[in-house]
Amino acid sequence: MDDPLIVVTLLLVAAAATAAVAVRDPVRQALVLSVLGLCLAVLFTVLQAPDVGLSQLAVGSALTPLLLMLAVRRVGRRAKGTTGTTGTTGTGDGEREKAR
Amino acid sequence: MTRRVRLLVLALGGAGLAALLVAACLDLPGFGRARHPYGTRAVHASLARHTANTIAAVNFDQRAFDTLGEMTILFASVLGTVVLLRQSRDEKRAAPEAERVAAPVRRYALLVLPVAVVTGLYIVAHGQLSPGGGFQGGVVAATALHLLYLGADYRALTRVRPVGAFEIGDALATCSYLVLGLACLLAGAAFLANTPLPYGTFDTLASGGTVPLLNAAVGMEVACAVVVLLAHFLDQAVEIEEEGSRSG
Amino acid sequence: MNGWTTTATVALAGGLGATLWGAATGPLHRRAVAQNLASAVTAPALLLLAQGYGRPAYVDLALVLALLGPVGTLVFARLLAGELADGGQSPGGRGPTLAVAAYGALVVVVLCAVTGPSRAMVKLLVVGVLLVAGNLIASKALSGGFGTAGASAGKNAGQERESNGRG
Repeated sequence: MDDPLIVVTLLLVAAAATAAVAVRDPVRQALVLSVLGLCLAVLFTVLQAPDVGLSQLAVGSALTPLLLMLAVRRVGRRAKGTTGTTGTTGTGDGEREKAR
Repeated sequence: MTRRVRLLVLALGGAGLAALLVAACLDLPGFGRARHPYGTRAVHASLARHTANTIAAVNFDQRAFDTLGEMTILFASVLGTVVLLRQSRDEKRAAPEAERVAAPVRRYALLVLPVAVVTGLYIVAHGQLSPGGGFQGGVVAATALHLLYLGADYRALTRVRPVGAFEIGDALATCSYLVLGLACLLAGAAFLANTPLPYGTFDTLASGGTVPLLNAAVGMEVACAVVVLLAHFLDQAVEIEEEGSRSG
Repeated sequence: MNGWTTTATVALAGGLGATLWGAATGPLHRRAVAQNLASAVTAPALLLLAQGYGRPAYVDLALVLALLGPVGTLVFARLLAGELADGGQSPGGRGPTLAVAAYGALVVVVLCAVTGPSRAMVKLLVVGVLLVAGNLIASKALSGGFGTAGASAGKNAGQERESNGRG
């Protein structure tokens, strides 16, 4: 059996999950969660479950980071809006936030 | 309860749970053995119906009713998201500005987008042959469409993606799964039973009876649902803003 | 456990471990580069596993990762354009990126040689091209492909066009 491979992958998953919990800022957490998704996909492949691994890759590599980052962007914009923007300097920041 | 007492209770509970888990793990059958009572029966039934991918056979043939429930869960959660994230009275919609994108990134996005959509459709179509199926292929295709936003422009994405059409597509695909199940019922067998269609030749695209059709229904449903979900998230993050913020 | 799976184990332990450490610590730009390299390191490992287990169907996993991994990095590059530009460029991001791209190309070439001319080899080549091109473009997007830094990226567009001729 491929015991060393399974052990290595399990350790990677454990380390990635611990890192994801230890990082507190949502943006940095999204980056670590992306790597955690990769480790999980490899674990599923090594345990001979490629369908689950494919699901993990499809969802975790692009969709989950996108949803997280959009939510962070929305919450950030709401906070900036309620504190109020004043004068011309505020307009510049607002324009930058509005785009993209 | 003081903090120390709470931590002590947590430690005791955790230790008990750890002991039980270790005892259970030591008593499990060995991993990766050749014989398993459920496994042998599932593989036998899958091969009898000429479906090469046993997972697809379990999902869309032996346990097709559970997949109907999972598809409905996704549909209901997207419905809830649409309700929650719709533009409310105290919000206004502002046109997003264009963001400058470097030329190589833009070219890469426009070249890879069709390749990725075709790959998603390929994974849906080959669900009964190789790892994949409706869910995985649908997510890949829907995510690929958003390369337009990531590599080019948000307004390009809104032109290509009429949200109303995708919402209708989502509902239609869910209904088509139900209609396929009812068709099996009308053909004289049980709901979602894999009997009316011929099983075809093993390891070809036309094999497995109703499995490829149910795969296609789930693929369309998941792709439309993900597009609608991302559309509302993008709306909130890019277009909609609070009425009180004077930023323009 | 044959040679292919052993190589995959070493590649995963070294590559994925290093990129995980890079994504969990350090300035934001380095974390983003580490996330990009993580998917670029995992795809060749999946190809090696497909060869080691003798299941060509696992190449589909590498194909999806080669397509969607760069998309994930583009998400961060686009939505963090401001913060990445503010933080300044992290020196030495180019070296590991090129090294990982070369490693991916090497794995694909070796596997093509082992597979021999067939449809499977064409699929492997497609995966290799998508992987290397995606990795390079995504790292380019991270180091100033969006917004205010787009002006300097335009200068580099010329040499990018040559190196990414097949893309």
